[in-house]
Amino acid sequence: MKPSSTCSHCLLPTGRLGQQREVNGEALAFCCYGCYLAYQVRHGERDEPEAALLLIRIGVGAFLAMNIMLFSLLLYSGALGDVDGVTARLVHWLLLFLATPLVLLLGGPFVAGAWRAARQGRVGTDTLVSIGVLSAYGFSAMQVWAGSGAVYFDTVTMVLILFTVGRYLEAVGRVRAARSLAPMLAAERAEVRVVHDGTETLQPVREVQPGSIVRVLPGERIAVDGVVIEGRSECNEAILTGRADMLAKAPGAPVLAGSINGTGQLVVRATAAGGVTRWVQISRLVRDALVRKSFLGNTVDRVAAAFVPLVLLLAVGTLWYWASRAPFDQALLTGLAVLVVACPCSMGLAAPLATTLGIGLAAQRGILLRGGGALEKLARVRAVAFDKTGTLTEGRPQVVDIWAHEATEHEVLYRATALAKGSEHPLAKAIAAGGRDRVPNAPVATEVRAHPGAGLSGRVDGEPAAMGSAKFLRGRGERIPAGWAAGNGTTLVYIGWGGRARGAIALADRVLPEAGKVMAALRGRDVQVVLLSGDRETAVARLATKLAVPEWRSGLAPEDKVRELRAWERRYGPVAMVGDGLNDGPVLAAATVGIAVGGATDLARESADVVLPESALEHLPWLLQLSADVNRSIRANLAWALGYNAIALALAVCGWLQPVIAAGLMAGSSLVVVSRSLNARRGHALRAADHVGFAGPASA
Amino acid sequence: MFEYFLISLAGLAGSLHCIGMCGGFVCVMGKDSRGAAATLRRHLAYNLGRVTSYCFLGGVLGHLGMLLVGDHAQPAAASLAQRSLAVVSGSMMLYIGLQFLGLFRAARWQTLGFGADLLVGALQRLLKAPGAGAALALGVLNGFLPCPLVYAFLAQAAGSGGPLPGALTMTAFGLGTFPAMLAMGGIGVWLRPAPGPPGATVVSMTPRGNAITLAPPPAWRLHGVRIAGAFIVLLGAITIARGVLPMGAHPHGL
Repeated sequence: MKPSSTCSHCLLPTGRLGQQREVNGEALAFCCYGCYLAYQVRHGERDEPEAALLLIRIGVGAFLAMNIMLFSLLLYSGALGDVDGVTARLVHWLLLFLATPLVLLLGGPFVAGAWRAARQGRVGTDTLVSIGVLSAYGFSAMQVWAGSGAVYFDTVTMVLILFTVGRYLEAVGRVRAARSLAPMLAAERAEVRVVHDGTETLQPVREVQPGSIVRVLPGERIAVDGVVIEGRSECNEAILTGRADMLAKAPGAPVLAGSINGTGQLVVRATAAGGVTRWVQISRLVRDALVRKSFLGNTVDRVAAAFVPLVLLLAVGTLWYWASRAPFDQALLTGLAVLVVACPCSMGLAAPLATTLGIGLAAQRGILLRGGGALEKLARVRAVAFDKTGTLTEGRPQVVDIWAHEATEHEVLYRATALAKGSEHPLAKAIAAGGRDRVPNAPVATEVRAHPGAGLSGRVDGEPAAMGSAKFLRGRGERIPAGWAAGNGTTLVYIGWGGRARGAIALADRVLPEAGKVMAALRGRDVQVVLLSGDRETAVARLATKLAVPEWRSGLAPEDKVRELRAWERRYGPVAMVGDGLNDGPVLAAATVGIAVGGATDLARESADVVLPESALEHLPWLLQLSADVNRSIRANLAWALGYNAIALALAVCGWLQPVIAAGLMAGSSLVVVSRSLNARRGHALRAADHVGFAGPASA
Repeated sequence: MFEYFLISLAGLAGSLHCIGMCGGFVCVMGKDSRGAAATLRRHLAYNLGRVTSYCFLGGVLGHLGMLLVGDHAQPAAASLAQRSLAVVSGSMMLYIGLQFLGLFRAARWQTLGFGADLLVGALQRLLKAPGAGAALALGVLNGFLPCPLVYAFLAQAAGSGGPLPGALTMTAFGLGTFPAMLAMGGIGVWLRPAPGPPGATVVSMTPRGNAITLAPPPAWRLHGVRIAGAFIVLLGAITIARGVLPMGAHPHGL
């Protein structure tokens, strides 16, 4: 028998009912859907003790409730004889006997919540449930005692069960929404395999010291910053750098905490203590972000808080109205239905679920958001202002061209590199960096003299040489050949030896390759783009032309940028400012949304609402789309929950809604809001993958 | 009464299917640290929870079936509807029973998505929690796991004519599965190695422990499943006969 023809769970032949399914990335065969579920139960890892406790309550409660329902059903269907007979009275006592522990078990948490709220002078949703359930239970118990009339234990139990299930759904929804963040949130609590004297022990990452040896298994998340000392693999650092590709790691290669190991086993020597890595820093930041209430979330909570006392009044009014027109039983049930159906549970769920999901999705690409508020504000942004240097350009000049005259390019670069190695000037450093690979044997020039604002002179291999501006070389009596003109935005440095200028090197600050695409994507989203730079006019103008940005300002000091931002805000509405967090701190703080690019240094800075990793400018349009999607999801869910509640409330007041159905509607609305919010993620993730060609990191 | 007896036998034979699917849970639940009595309580609670769920579902479906077509006390107008329901539920049983016998391919079960995921998550959490309460809760939820065997008898319960016969049908089935599942728990406890000290030296990645290896060999269980299929086909035929045969020859009175 082929292995694939047996059920992976129960080992029976899969037969004709069989189905192929994937669990944890493994293709498996199952004989039926039930076995597929059972297999997941056995091979998954989920331990949350609080959730288990709630589940035990639900399960034991359901056991009692099913008995109550069954006996009520048998009684009312006449299967146990006359509804008013002796058997019926016995069954009533049995129901009371079963319902009492259930009310204690499931009603307890609601009553405790109501009590807590009452001590703070508030009326919460727990209060609504408690009042409703306890009055129906009390009324039924009195009927049993009196030995006459109908009892409503089935209603009581169903309402309690459904509400507890609703609570559980909410809890699961929250856990689920934060699932992609789980490894990040657990960064500080992670355990690592520390190798010491040939034995391997699990230790909390906090206890890892520089020099500790840590083993990383294939597919694991690396928990320490360090250097590979053994093994070969490849790592995905998307969560830190935003780059989705796998980076090869061989002995000697640095690895970052938070990256995911690929197919090989690695042994890593830690270079930093486990508690101070950027990864742990990110973890704290994300945790803070999750507990920050967004504006929308806050508003909803306040509305709900005002709504609850109104519902209570409405329920009392309904009871009073119906009590004067119908039997008291019916009035009581109608009032109960009003209390139950108006619980604004699902409303408070929409905002936290969607923003948690959004924060998690962004974090997958290394984008850090400072709370759901940042997402809400991003969705409103109508214009984006960019800083130039280091944001749209690489921020450091690079060798882009070399000319030679009566010499080879190699000779030119050789001498230039030798001279540059003797200087700390930024241009010299750029030339030295450019020559590092091409003329690795270039010596350090001797007798190097700096001529401030003009150039350098010295001896290379004993021969005098000079490098600097055209004026500097002409001043030394060297002739500059015609035809070497600085291109747009480049700086030319001339090199001469043996009495004449023999070469020139062109240097430029390169525009990031993705900048053009990002600008086009922003314009495509109907977002205005502005350049605000402290740089020279010509440089900014050229960049603006190249990126087809119609509006730009140059030569701005930070306070000028703030003024410009305010002007833009008046013209277009909310403006996001993208800059580096070091120099543009006050400007980022002044914008509606401050987006800091790069630098681990500004993680902890409060000025930015969003921190993009260094090479992640291309994710900016995606981020705007994400914020728009999150906002749409919140608003749609709020509208849905409000409409649903309003209609159900109207029906309940009119007495057209059974309390059990009302409770079912409420649990259903929680379920709908949770699954809608979680599905919104799927839709977004798919669309986003098309958008920027980001394959997405493996979620380990 | 004969019918309920048949159902119990079907449950007994079918419980060889249960062992494969849910037996693993029973084994994992294992031993209670407070002694044999506590362990027994835990396993009884699990099975009580499971059978209660079946019984409840049977009662509800029996009631719904009755609401749909009226009960036995109603005049002949309702009788056609009752007979139709008997034929429909009997056919469903035949369909599922023949699948168990491996005679034809079933429609693929559709994924329940979020709902199924919730059920899986809930069972996972309960499996790890200690105490009889958790076992009871596990049993209750286990009773709602989609299982063709349960569906077959729920079809019969729906056509049984009322909440009481519906509940009794499912109770009979549940009691039939009781011995095997309880025994399975016993075997699981017996063979389970004592747990080692937690957080000790890590040798390699945790191997995938599978309690299924303790169950009877698949070949036996396959026979059991076939026998259960045959019982379901027989019961389905009786149910259909109740709808088709003239009133006097109604095998319900058997």
